[in-house]
Amino acid sequence: MIRRPGSKKRGKGPSSDRLVPPEGVPLTLPVAGIGVRIAAQSIDIVLTFIAAISLLILLSTLALSSPQSMTAIAVLVFFSIGVPYYILAELAWNGQTLGKRLMKIKVVAHDGGSLSAHSLVLRNLMKEAEIFLPGMLLLTLDMTSLLTSVTALVWIAIVFLVPLRDRYRRRLGDLMAGTHVIHLPVPLLLKDLAVENPAAGHGGTNVRFLAHQLDHYGAFELQTLETLLRAHGTPTASQQTDAAIATIVEKIRRKIGYAQPVPPQDRVAFLQAFYNAQREHLEQRRLFGDRRENKHYASTGEDA
Amino acid sequence: MDGQDLIRSARFRSEREADWRRLETLVRTAESKGLQRMAFAEARDLAALYRQATTSLAIAREISLDKALLAYLEALTARAYLCVYAPQERLGGLLRRFLTRGAPAAMRRSWIFILLGFLFMTLGALAGYMLYFENNDWFYVFMPSEMADGRGPNATTDSLRESIYGHDSGTSGLGAFAAYLFSHNTRIAIFVFGLGVFACAPAILLTFYNGLLLGAFLALHVDRGLGVDLAGWLSVHGVTELSAVCIACGGGLQLGAAVLFPGDRSRADALRHAGRDAVKLALVAALMLVAAALLESFARQLVQDLTLRFVIGWGVGALWLAWFALGGRKR
Repeated sequence: MIRRPGSKKRGKGPSSDRLVPPEGVPLTLPVAGIGVRIAAQSIDIVLTFIAAISLLILLSTLALSSPQSMTAIAVLVFFSIGVPYYILAELAWNGQTLGKRLMKIKVVAHDGGSLSAHSLVLRNLMKEAEIFLPGMLLLTLDMTSLLTSVTALVWIAIVFLVPLRDRYRRRLGDLMAGTHVIHLPVPLLLKDLAVENPAAGHGGTNVRFLAHQLDHYGAFELQTLETLLRAHGTPTASQQTDAAIATIVEKIRRKIGYAQPVPPQDRVAFLQAFYNAQREHLEQRRLFGDRRENKHYASTGEDA
Repeated sequence: MDGQDLIRSARFRSEREADWRRLETLVRTAESKGLQRMAFAEARDLAALYRQATTSLAIAREISLDKALLAYLEALTARAYLCVYAPQERLGGLLRRFLTRGAPAAMRRSWIFILLGFLFMTLGALAGYMLYFENNDWFYVFMPSEMADGRGPNATTDSLRESIYGHDSGTSGLGAFAAYLFSHNTRIAIFVFGLGVFACAPAILLTFYNGLLLGAFLALHVDRGLGVDLAGWLSVHGVTELSAVCIACGGGLQLGAAVLFPGDRSRADALRHAGRDAVKLALVAALMLVAAALLESFARQLVQDLTLRFVIGWGVGALWLAWFALGGRKR
């Protein structure tokens, strides 16, 4: 009802996690779901409420002012933990409030540009009509008057339906401001498996593969093998990993026609050697424009 | 390792890894300290290294099959992007730009919606006025009892006069009263604005209802021959306050109109476009309500003279009008 190009386009077009910055290299920033955003909002409400209460208690115990000015201060404090808090926090922390910081989510400009003050003000002004008021209505729902409770429920339904129908989970304020909310990615650089175990001469096993032996697998299988080898390297590697390694070594041997048997103590070394050779081979094919996404690359290539 | 026995993508990584690490530390500093407090050299390196990292990412997507490397570069570039494109404006600068240029220009651009806001308020007032003279009991239908404060068709003329000219609250309570009015009214204005997006109707209804209250109240006093006195009492803050409600309504109408009649755009696009001016209208309304609260709690109680009340109320109104009409024009 609010968004026109919804249902028909679903599943097509670029992934909703793509964001194209002005540099033109698309980045992957996964869209934050409704659950995590509700959690961040609740944390914000609880934190600001606690802060306001403790500030007021502190002021009243200090007894610096008369009761009348205390009420004035109280009213102003409770006003400022509403919309003003969210606007100022998002301006100061680059699109994050306290709750968003804790949940590791962040507001970004939908078009990949920089966040403007205008959009932060707008998306938070809409909070009053979109979040605070429906919340209040829900808390004070009165079963005796049917009309008001039905209106309240319809309203709440609309407020929830808008982000649910949207691919980017934008609420109305986001739609207007041209923003959406993403999970902050964590940069963590793991060791390069190929550097750890250079191809030639490792631990006495001098495993060599021929070109036709490396034509069986694609990028998907290679990266699955990478995951397995990394899991094996961690201290939490279990008996199951060892069993999996044994099976996989046998499968690979049969598939590529590697005649020489692999003794149990050399299995991991064999897999690492295979990983290096396979990766080098696939990357080289890639440079020649032959992208092998998975082991079915040959058949899909014919179809296309 | 001299890199000769490495495969190509591993060599690619080992050549650039030091830069990525440096970018990672810079991003951490920027995120914790903020870009403004970083040294010049650091900020410059951050931007330069970020652009290098985007290039690395683009290349790595083509040549590397190392999943860990790709994931790292994706995350690192994304974090650096968020730092580099953070909002850079200072709060003071934002405020000044809003007051001197943004707000008056937005008001002038959306005059038709503001006019509609005033129209609905006037219609409401007219309806309230007529209905009161048709039957006094309508007053109780519109007016919530806590707002009427004992003033109704049953009240004596003297008590009505008393509430207009009397010191009904001591000067000591005025600050609290102002604070209360300010926060209450501002929330109403934000609310009227936000409701506009639900297809205009709620914003119109709220404004119309405000008009009804005004009309009924006015009619009550005209009936008792206190019309002019009430007008003076109301103008002190009412000129500012009621205009603010109409302006907030105008902002809401602008949003509602974008939802109802998006034209060639998609609704989301139309909303985004309408939002640019509408949000400024809402902020202007909030600002006016602050002024109205101050006027209502201080000026109204302290100034008892009828003409002076008119002068203050409409004078402030004229100042607002001058700001909207003349502010931010190119000389």
